[in-house]
Amino acid sequence: MPLPAELSYLLQTIAWPLVLLLAWVLADFLHAHWHIPRVSSYVAIGMFAGAVDLPGLTDDITGLPFVANVALALVLFELGYRINLRWFRNNPWVLVAGVAESVLTFAAVFGVISWLVPDMRLHVHLAVAALAMASSPAGVLRVVHETRSSGQVTERVMHLTAINCLLSVLVLQLVTGSRTLRVSGDWMQAVFASLHVLGTSLVVGMLLGFVVPKLLKGRLAAAPDGATVVFALSVLLLTTAAYGLKLSPLLAALTFGVVARERRVHLTNAQRNFGTAGDLLGVFLFVYVASVLEWRDVLPGLQLGVVLVLVRMSSKVLVNLTLAQVSGITPFKGAMTGLALTPMSAFVVLLVSQTGAVGFDLAEQTLAAITGMVLVLELLGPLVTQRALMAAREAQVTQEA
Amino acid sequence: MALETFKASESLTLGVELELQLLNAYDLDLSSSASDLLELLGRSPFPGMVTPEMTQSMIEVATSVHTRHGPLLSQLRNIRDTLVTACDRLNIEIAGGGTHPFQRWFEQRIFQRPRFQQLSGLYGYLAKQFTVFGQHVHVGCASADEALYLLHALNRYVPHFIALSASSPYSQGVDTLFDSARLNSVFAFPLSGRAPFTLSWSEFSEVYFTKMESTGVVESMKDFYWDIRPKPEFGTIELRVCDTPLTVERAAGLACYLQALCRHLLQRTEPLPEDDDYLVYTYNRFQACRFGLDGTMVNPKTREQISIREDILHTLRVLQPHAQALDSLAAMDEIERAAGHSGNHATWLRERFAESGTVQGVVRAAADLLRV
Repeated sequence: MPLPAELSYLLQTIAWPLVLLLAWVLADFLHAHWHIPRVSSYVAIGMFAGAVDLPGLTDDITGLPFVANVALALVLFELGYRINLRWFRNNPWVLVAGVAESVLTFAAVFGVISWLVPDMRLHVHLAVAALAMASSPAGVLRVVHETRSSGQVTERVMHLTAINCLLSVLVLQLVTGSRTLRVSGDWMQAVFASLHVLGTSLVVGMLLGFVVPKLLKGRLAAAPDGATVVFALSVLLLTTAAYGLKLSPLLAALTFGVVARERRVHLTNAQRNFGTAGDLLGVFLFVYVASVLEWRDVLPGLQLGVVLVLVRMSSKVLVNLTLAQVSGITPFKGAMTGLALTPMSAFVVLLVSQTGAVGFDLAEQTLAAITGMVLVLELLGPLVTQRALMAAREAQVTQEA
Repeated sequence: MALETFKASESLTLGVELELQLLNAYDLDLSSSASDLLELLGRSPFPGMVTPEMTQSMIEVATSVHTRHGPLLSQLRNIRDTLVTACDRLNIEIAGGGTHPFQRWFEQRIFQRPRFQQLSGLYGYLAKQFTVFGQHVHVGCASADEALYLLHALNRYVPHFIALSASSPYSQGVDTLFDSARLNSVFAFPLSGRAPFTLSWSEFSEVYFTKMESTGVVESMKDFYWDIRPKPEFGTIELRVCDTPLTVERAAGLACYLQALCRHLLQRTEPLPEDDDYLVYTYNRFQACRFGLDGTMVNPKTREQISIREDILHTLRVLQPHAQALDSLAAMDEIERAAGHSGNHATWLRERFAESGTVQGVVRAAADLLRV
């Protein structure tokens, strides 16, 4: 039965705020009662909203992908800010673990999907394998903040996530680059396009990383909260610029964070996560990304999804378990690190849609192929991370007094 | 259970314990990393001893028994280097300092051990506010009575150690205006303060301790948080008022200043300690905590007021022959530098705040200074 026009219009107008509010309330309730990570609840509500196809929820509002990109860029800035490049020199095994788990995940997922779905195009296989490398920075960071965990598993999950996201962007860019080559046959165009996206994104991020701390010099003492605002606005600027120049806002934001940290600008711990604004954008990000998953892709892809999830988890656990001892932690903590890397969501979805923005049918097919995997990992990944951190005794057990 | 017998040890031997802070490398807040670090350190021999403390963000190291400044300092440096290397492998920063300048005490995790859990249950927020970092110095005593004599004879010098070691001006993100804010946390414990006045071990153990034990308030010497307490199983007295300095050089200097002072006191040229000495004790201690070397103390014997800095410089001159005999002139130089122009580490930290404008900048500088 079609809805009366007025009601439909009203729903359309308030659909987003209503869904977000509902998501927050449900997440808070489930977290308080059963320690369910909040992000899992956001995702569940987003999926539900996408499934019932609320009017006004998805395609009708332009600009939502942009907001989602800003939200994720803030997360990537923060992730970058937590990366200590000197650690890789002090303990190269952490870097080795990051590269090895990415490479093994890529190879294993590529092998399995080629074997299970041989009729899919090679580029889709490659793109799926590239995406499977990346852990969800937003999922991981949110859970780390929520549990206020600290320790080796926490540190390693941060650093390995940054590495696998970076590699995922690079490999995906190579795949789309080679696709450009196949279609156009123009070497120059293919090479230039890839170099432009990667190189310019890095340069933009680095530039901001040098300039913003200079802007803030001497002002930090007077207004420590001001620094957060300046960084948030810079990330907004960067995302806008990246859109205009068709760059990768995610890569640029990650670079910005890494460079800002190397410049030793101190953000206080009260500003972790960009405070209330960060929370708000976080709710939106998870609900939005879950709502864009196409349900018609879910059921046929679910079986494949579950297989890929298992392959991906095993390769991440295997590498971290193997390298635990030599990198300075117990095998148990190594295994927990591997498990904690499970989440996969917003980063991947937005990455693919950017590939789509560059103009290829590849995006749609790839998104369809990974929908099953993303569905499982968006929902359950944060829970796995949370339990891994708790098992490693890195989550705070005491309550605030 | 009666107090165990005092196990005599060689006079003027030294042992140093340092409580150090573990920090995360990205925003320099305390990091709950003690078990990770202990696991890694456990894989190879450690040049000393290392043990967990109350909270996961603290680690305690101890030297072996020493008689000379040189070997003591070189062991402390070895310990420091081993810790720094291990911390680098785990992306942890490590630093001295009596407090963490901006940690929020309710976020500190209490170490998973029955005794710690029990203390946490008993003291509530005090246990977490007790996330403070001190240096303890043990001095060997030939007999139990010598231990009690030294313990009380040192009462007038306690402000020296507070002022020289003070390195905790910041707490909960603000300048407390104290040079040692750490000691304020210690004073909150019911059994803190000074030992009861007696110079006879049999009276101390058979009368005082037995009475205290019968009240059910204490079970062992561990339950007293006195500024100086006897440690019968080691045959030492333990000075506990020092903040952990920012460098191992200052830590060794303080230990050897105490050693030279004890050698001087054992010559018994000064008037005997008496209960009335303690009339000015808490006032002097407050002055040292609040104003550091610029504080004023009252000499309990002469009742005259003197600046703590002046009193230290004067004492250093008196100790000169003892330092010569103990081969610790380098340590006296370190103490003289602190008491003289360069100041204690609280002053140094405030200078770093003036430079960087943030408490994070202060922690960063402290972590870098330990490495040098």
